[in-house]
Amino acid sequence: MCGLAHIFESQGFSTVLVGFVKEHIEIIKPPRALWLNFPMGRPLGKPNNPEFQKKVIRTAFDLLEKSSGPVLDDFSEIIPVREGRMSYALPVSLVYKVNQLGNIDKLAERVQMELSNLLPDYFKALQNVGRTTVGASELEISDFVPFISEFAKGNKPKSPRKGLPAIPLLKLVVEDLNAVYTETRIYKDKIDDFEMLGKWFWEETHAGKLLLAVEAVSLESNDQVLRQIASMSLLTPRFWSEGPLPGISGSGWT
Amino acid sequence: MVLVRDMPAVGRGFIERLEPPDIKNFYWTKPSPKNSRKVAVISTAAVSKRGDRPFSWLARDHRVIGKNDRDLVMTHVAVEYDRTAWQLDLNTILPLDRLDEMAKDNEIGSVAEKHYTFMGAADPRDMEKSALEVSSEMKKEAVDTVFLVPV
Repeated sequence: MCGLAHIFESQGFSTVLVGFVKEHIEIIKPPRALWLNFPMGRPLGKPNNPEFQKKVIRTAFDLLEKSSGPVLDDFSEIIPVREGRMSYALPVSLVYKVNQLGNIDKLAERVQMELSNLLPDYFKALQNVGRTTVGASELEISDFVPFISEFAKGNKPKSPRKGLPAIPLLKLVVEDLNAVYTETRIYKDKIDDFEMLGKWFWEETHAGKLLLAVEAVSLESNDQVLRQIASMSLLTPRFWSEGPLPGISGSGWT
Repeated sequence: MVLVRDMPAVGRGFIERLEPPDIKNFYWTKPSPKNSRKVAVISTAAVSKRGDRPFSWLARDHRVIGKNDRDLVMTHVAVEYDRTAWQLDLNTILPLDRLDEMAKDNEIGSVAEKHYTFMGAADPRDMEKSALEVSSEMKKEAVDTVFLVPV
């Protein structure tokens, strides 16, 4: 983002950015930057809090009054996080081996049942909120679990979506499934707590267990791309874990 | 976001190994007066209109979001950030309603018709061509102020 600021400034625009990684802002020196000590994923800070959001914008735009730069200020308010992590992270100990997975068809049935129980509230949420983030995969919700389950069984299904191979589609279906669950809980229980929502989805639901099964199978897969996205924590939230997946160096990013 | 030294090991290791771009020249464009600014948002959240082509994992290209588009989906490759905030409120990542309110209150001049999103996981050096295309589009609608918002 800091690099983009330099490009746009060079083209005659006045730029101002809000940013998360202070050390990078200090090195790259965009013309005007406001450092936010917030969790990633919420650069305007607080959902459904217009005044807080406008305070962030106003403070950032105040930097446009400076006569020279680079200028870097800290936003005055902090949104604290747990143990330095920017989002929920799976416990390091919660890793399955393929021989621990049991019958995937039965697990998939339990996920379908769990999902069916959530859907009335999901659709109520959609009706009341007026928008959903579900749908990047473009699969029907009823097709999420069958598609994901094939990977958990060690198969690589044909992508039903033209122009998008099965593995990139898997990632989007995983995120869509997660979003159905979290949007439903957010609406039903009025929750804004990503740690709690993450723990619930990944550690307490059958859907979370199915996705951990996909991770386990992917880590032992002969398919290099599947193995890589699992080891890079692109399927499961391990980026902010205290340690990498067993047998993998630095979350697979090295 | 906390300082890198305060992060857990895996994330800290990854971020410490990122190689920042080497910026050769520093540019400074004098801002327009406050209440005549036309503002466009540049987001690296890899959101796009429902039905648009998904971003590839290291996409160098961009998508266009109209001023009134609210039905968006996210195809960002990373899962290390909280996605529940934008499920709760799109303005948490793309503050188009807030900017609109600020324009109505004369805190800024106006909000651009078009806003632009990129894939934040990609190397910014690879985005230059696309950023220049975006610049050209912004000039066509007389944008003078760019608000850059990461995710």
